[in-house]
Amino acid sequence: MKSILEPQIPKGTRDFLPSDMVKRDYVLKKMKSVFVNYGYDAIETPALEYAKTILEKYGDEGAKLTYTFKDHGGRLLALRYDQTVPFARFVAANFHDLPMPFKRYQISPVWRADKPARGRYREFYQCDVDIVGTDSLLAEGEIVRLMADVFQALNFKQFVIKFNSRRLMNNVLSRLDIPRETQVSVIRILDKLEKIGKDDVLQLLKELLSAKTAELLLESVSLTGTNEEKMKWLKKDLPPEISEFLTICNQFGVPQEALVFEPSLARGLDYYTGLVFEASVPGINLGPVCAGGRYDDLCSTFSPEKISGVGVAFGFDRIMLAMEELMMLVGIRLNSQVLVTYFEETLEHSLKIVNDLREAGIASELYFQPDRLSKQMKYADKKGIPFVILCGPDEAAKGEAVIKVMKIGKQKTIPQNQLSLYLMGYHES
Amino acid sequence: MKPTNPLRIAVQSNGRLSEPSREYLRSLGLQFNLNGRTLITPCENYKLDILHLRDDDIPEYVSREVADFGIVGENVVREKESRVRIVKRLGFGFCKLVIAVPEGSPIQSVNDLEGERIATTYPHVLAGFFRENRINAAIIPIEGSVEIAPSLNLADAICDLTQTGKTLKENHLVPLMTIMESEAVLIESMISRHEKLEFLKL
Repeated sequence: MKSILEPQIPKGTRDFLPSDMVKRDYVLKKMKSVFVNYGYDAIETPALEYAKTILEKYGDEGAKLTYTFKDHGGRLLALRYDQTVPFARFVAANFHDLPMPFKRYQISPVWRADKPARGRYREFYQCDVDIVGTDSLLAEGEIVRLMADVFQALNFKQFVIKFNSRRLMNNVLSRLDIPRETQVSVIRILDKLEKIGKDDVLQLLKELLSAKTAELLLESVSLTGTNEEKMKWLKKDLPPEISEFLTICNQFGVPQEALVFEPSLARGLDYYTGLVFEASVPGINLGPVCAGGRYDDLCSTFSPEKISGVGVAFGFDRIMLAMEELMMLVGIRLNSQVLVTYFEETLEHSLKIVNDLREAGIASELYFQPDRLSKQMKYADKKGIPFVILCGPDEAAKGEAVIKVMKIGKQKTIPQNQLSLYLMGYHES
Repeated sequence: MKPTNPLRIAVQSNGRLSEPSREYLRSLGLQFNLNGRTLITPCENYKLDILHLRDDDIPEYVSREVADFGIVGENVVREKESRVRIVKRLGFGFCKLVIAVPEGSPIQSVNDLEGERIATTYPHVLAGFFRENRINAAIIPIEGSVEIAPSLNLADAICDLTQTGKTLKENHLVPLMTIMESEAVLIESMISRHEKLEFLKL
């Protein structure tokens, strides 16, 4: 007897059904259209890299989460862990062929051997936008305007873009004489401020610093008030880029109410050197949906060229979750907008109708079998197809067809050559 | 001929608002001589050029600041959805945008429009009306002679401008409802200039 294999997928991975994919495609398409509108081009890098390319950068923690294996020739390979390291390798490898500054976006799956949880998968999508080869602050301004445009294009009513400067953080840390070797740990703790609150952060800081220093530090970075008030308060430590950046954002038309100066924001990763950003959606308990910043030396591992850049990563799966929770993805249909039913005697009319609709750019499909009409209707219903067209012998004889609008249950008989006009002009309220 | 004055106003070159628009400008004390087919008329006693344009183009010209002001039907302003400001309603060029159906049509109320075909030269205004009234229907955009659409089985109803209702009647159409009351309006671009403020004091 033939044995049947259980149709299962590895832990932390997902199948996407058509009803999932139309939503994902809808969101991706909107995001991509903003990137393209800003003149960014797409690149791709292989899912597989040499393990040493990837492992070098992340240290022990990253190495534990990287999927590695030996190929048939005994070479040690790794699955892409993020898009930043492959991008650095890509820029180093193609440096002489790339126009500088180089603007690219990249959307691809990455793999991490992490413990799966809500919103955390072993295979998930990253969506990165970077400008490299310039240290102009205009690049920061453009990236932030692009972030705002993405959220607006996706119809988020509210979003907050927090920003800070690593230079400000460094100035504060040096003023308080916090030694270099503890700075990285201190920054990691400050990053948790929003998550765990002031008291717990102070507790953790006191393990590394004197009580007085810890309190002074926390007081310096956990400010409330307007951007200007915070800037005034930090005047002594403030690097000039903060106000220059705000001026540029203003000229770029970034909605001012969405921009929040957050002096405690650090973005843990130590390769950020200048401004850092983090965007979130109020009312959704998900953490940031987009984050990034300025780095001074993207390719140090792969190239003697010192390449500065600024970029952000959109958390595509988090954005999908947020939009689902806020009911922003209801009413998105599968691709077919029209089902042309099957009538044995008038099949050639049905074929002509479906051809004409497709030519007019209306996504349509033909029912393939001589089933009862009720069964054909049920199929349209199950796929959520909004229009059904019937052309029986009576209609065919007069060059007409019946169009049924499924949502309102109304049927109309109109000339076949006007079906596409009707469908293109149809206004759904 | 090139415009030479610092201020420009666009008016309809040839249509139902042309003559009343010129009369309105004269009523402000402006003097000008219409010279045959010239499309730009300078005022003799004010630093203003009058541009004679197709009315459909006026909102766009004003929003792009090619002209500082324009005189045009409110119906056109609404349909073009251009970024302009309505300064004032001018009290002439009254008309209505109505939905009309053939005599004896089963369509007798707004809700009967559900799923039907409505031919119009005002697809944006009509779509807004449908949105507000939660009507699902097919808008058939055509450029002119809308009244003929039902008799050609191109549409079940029409949405068109009417002043006296005469054309509707001649085509055996009955008005069902008015979706917009319109008159000529003075519009201006969104930027402010002191020359504009001076003109508005006339």
